[in-house]
Amino acid sequence: VCVAGYGQSDGNEILQLIPPPTLLTKETQGLCPERDFKVECGGFSERPVYSLKYVPDTSLLVTSGPPDSSLQVWQVSAEDSDVIKSVSTIATENGTGQSWAKIATISAKDPWVLHGTRLDRVQITEVESRKNVYTAASRGSEELSGLAFLDCNTLLLCCATGRLCLADIRQPQSLVEAVSVPSAPCSEQWCVGSRHAAQALEPSSQPVARLSSRGHLTLTDLRKSSEFLALAKARVPSPGSGADFLCVSWAPALEGYLAISGFDGTVHVYDTQSWDSSGREAEPIFVHKGHAFGGAGGSGDPPLVTVHTWHLQKPRTLLSAASDGSLHVWDWVQPCGKC
Amino acid sequence: GAGQDVGRSCILVSIAGKNVMLDCGMHMGYNDDRRFPDFSYITQNGRLTDFLDCVIISHFHLDHCGALPYFSEMVGYDGPIYMTHPTKAICPILLEDYRKITVDKKGETNFFTSQMIKDCMKKVVAVHLHQTVQVDEELEIKAYYAGHVLGAAMFQIKVGCESVVYTGDYNMTPDRHLGAAWIDKCRPDLLISESTYATTIRDSKRCRERDFLKKVHETVERGGKVLIPVFALGRAQELCILLETFWERMNLKAPIYFSTGLTEKANHYYKLFITWTNQKIRKTFVQRNMFEFKHIKAFDRAFADNPGPMVVFATPGMLHAGQSLQIFRKWAGNEKNMVIMPGYCVQGTVGHKILSGQRKLEMEGRQILEVKMQVEYMSFSAHADAKGIMQLIRQAEPRNVLLVHGEAKKMEFLKQKIEQEFHVSCFMPANGETTTILTNPCIPVDISLGLLKRETAIGPLPDAKKPKLMHGTLLMKDNSFRLVSPEQALKELGLAEHQLRFTCRVHIQDPRKEHETGLRVYNHLKGILKDYSVQHLPDGSITVESILIQATAHSEDQGTKVLLVSWTYQDEELGSYLTSLLKKGLPQSTP
Repeated sequence: VCVAGYGQSDGNEILQLIPPPTLLTKETQGLCPERDFKVECGGFSERPVYSLKYVPDTSLLVTSGPPDSSLQVWQVSAEDSDVIKSVSTIATENGTGQSWAKIATISAKDPWVLHGTRLDRVQITEVESRKNVYTAASRGSEELSGLAFLDCNTLLLCCATGRLCLADIRQPQSLVEAVSVPSAPCSEQWCVGSRHAAQALEPSSQPVARLSSRGHLTLTDLRKSSEFLALAKARVPSPGSGADFLCVSWAPALEGYLAISGFDGTVHVYDTQSWDSSGREAEPIFVHKGHAFGGAGGSGDPPLVTVHTWHLQKPRTLLSAASDGSLHVWDWVQPCGKC
Repeated sequence: GAGQDVGRSCILVSIAGKNVMLDCGMHMGYNDDRRFPDFSYITQNGRLTDFLDCVIISHFHLDHCGALPYFSEMVGYDGPIYMTHPTKAICPILLEDYRKITVDKKGETNFFTSQMIKDCMKKVVAVHLHQTVQVDEELEIKAYYAGHVLGAAMFQIKVGCESVVYTGDYNMTPDRHLGAAWIDKCRPDLLISESTYATTIRDSKRCRERDFLKKVHETVERGGKVLIPVFALGRAQELCILLETFWERMNLKAPIYFSTGLTEKANHYYKLFITWTNQKIRKTFVQRNMFEFKHIKAFDRAFADNPGPMVVFATPGMLHAGQSLQIFRKWAGNEKNMVIMPGYCVQGTVGHKILSGQRKLEMEGRQILEVKMQVEYMSFSAHADAKGIMQLIRQAEPRNVLLVHGEAKKMEFLKQKIEQEFHVSCFMPANGETTTILTNPCIPVDISLGLLKRETAIGPLPDAKKPKLMHGTLLMKDNSFRLVSPEQALKELGLAEHQLRFTCRVHIQDPRKEHETGLRVYNHLKGILKDYSVQHLPDGSITVESILIQATAHSEDQGTKVLLVSWTYQDEELGSYLTSLLKKGLPQSTP
């Protein structure tokens, strides 16, 4: 598990933590002796870390954050040291008012990082050589809220307005296609969640979920993108905290389950299999409230969940982090008998 | 010791010519000489009394004091051994207990005897918290509260203005029966901190406790028995308070027992040293003694056969002998029962075996014991993690930090973190390695009264908050340092004073006569240097305070004038200033 700080001043830490053995799924000889996380290695970043991704099959990490759209590449494990070292910087053209880059990684032919701040500045760079291998052709200049590899050739781009675009990297000249989105109130910002490239068998058949800053959720099948598979509304507080930490993700081991966070100190889990296209309010299967209660209490703002993710193997286990520096690993018990 | 092993703590510090030994622990994992520290580092032969000024023991855990009788009686040391009062009271009990098991049960021969423990304790000098103890004229020590276990202390060792703080084991978060470690901003030259748990990020205590209580509750609810092997002093009290509070809140009826042996003595010591427990216990002590439990009773061997659920705390902690092992053997065959290990178990003990997953154990007489009971491990040890270490450094503000008991490769990140945040050097020596720390000692100097009076009369008034710069001459004779006025120094040493005079030539372009140039210079300087005394003497030269300026013609070039600027060493500043001012040239229009 890798965590990093995003404070304004420099001296943000990146920590690679080993979870307690109870949370690792490899065969343990005896008992799991501890409940504690161990810092396996750590490093220092001069800029706040807003996004962090491992590069699969390598010992490299890529991070991005303000003040510009460049990416930082880090070397994680070394035999003789536990320090995460900065290896290189992937520079990008810096337009004015550029925000930080959204990133996604894959290691199909080579370790690649997909990154960009706006629809017309999306590129794929080879991590080790820092060579540009693909630039998306696009006319729009909307700000991006997320991007992902659906498979090693297909990219999914999501704008903050909710507009989804697909691109095939084998055809760099053709423009990215837009996918329609319901007429959304302009003040909403959207983010996207899709199945991880490695997990999905037929990536384009997996629905893509979008979450807005007002709690609207849309599910779309990319093969039939003009209509929605489902629409729902989550019961979340009115958008006070902005869309910086909106996060929606699919459960890797539970069909149809997704989780959302970023509105307050909670994480909601939903079973989308019962959803229809009416757009009415959906009842969460479970709400994790630990961050709101776990803190030192009283003083200061209540913590805000900054990001969450699912445990890759344990079906109902999630990890979530909050603005107070807490990291929670939690699961829920299904009230009815079945697993 | 390396990693998280229960090691043999023993650190030697040389400070301003004094040698101090910090802790004298035993390694519980070895049965041969490796269990004791290697004292040949101090000297190859003979007794150690001459080489050490004192020995300090931080707390009663055997990995910090276990080798003490061996060291003082078998290797040989007759000097003072310092420790806190609770440590002095409890150490001999643990040492005797361990000796009995090692010699009587295991049949070891090269081990210290009961008499040796007694003789060793006679050399102990007990200290109070925050009490400055003079070991000799120059060396003094002071104990600070360390949390961790009853009587554990961090020690400050001071010689003159150089000091070292040794933490021993400490805990920066208070628990149910002990407070948190605390130290003042003593700014030692070096802080030596244990770093065994430095790479750990602790789970929240509440979650851990809730997990423990859940396991105990579930077992008891289904009619099973829970065995918790503990060392009599230490985490046992913590868990007792936790269970007692839980039982009270949930109104549970199943009995909880604490096995005999060290029990009575343990509670007796907590009551005796109540000031060493945390504030809450001390405050409530008047109404209700926290160590007199309502739901926890003394155990009798026969109870182990009673039907129905129960919870038993039994010693010793690693299931390696005694009552806890006996009870374990009785209960192991029933899957409704549970054993919860609350601490680390050394290799070779039954505790370690079952934690590694062994379910068939060979007992004495070749008997195989099948373990069907549930085995759980919950670590409640009270050590500082990385956050705690940073907190302590913030409190004490040392100039250097030294981390012991960590693996060097795994400590690089923490070392950088400490160096970056506090701007101090951080060291991580291995066993047997020597680290040298440079200090900036203060050297006291006597200043003569005359000089003091004279210097305070010059310049701004003395201010208690601001340092004042003084000029004098330092005389070093024999072992004394004196600061005196230069005149007095010359007189004492029988030297004559030399005067230094500087003369500088500044060339300026001016075709006029020398006299006129001189006048121009005078008017120019008078206009600029309004606070200074600028004079034009009858012979044409100009004086600025005591600096002399004369204008002469250049020997070869009529258009150039040479200004001779002359000053004594004392007027160096003004002289240099005038020279650079004149080098800039004279203004064109001057009367």
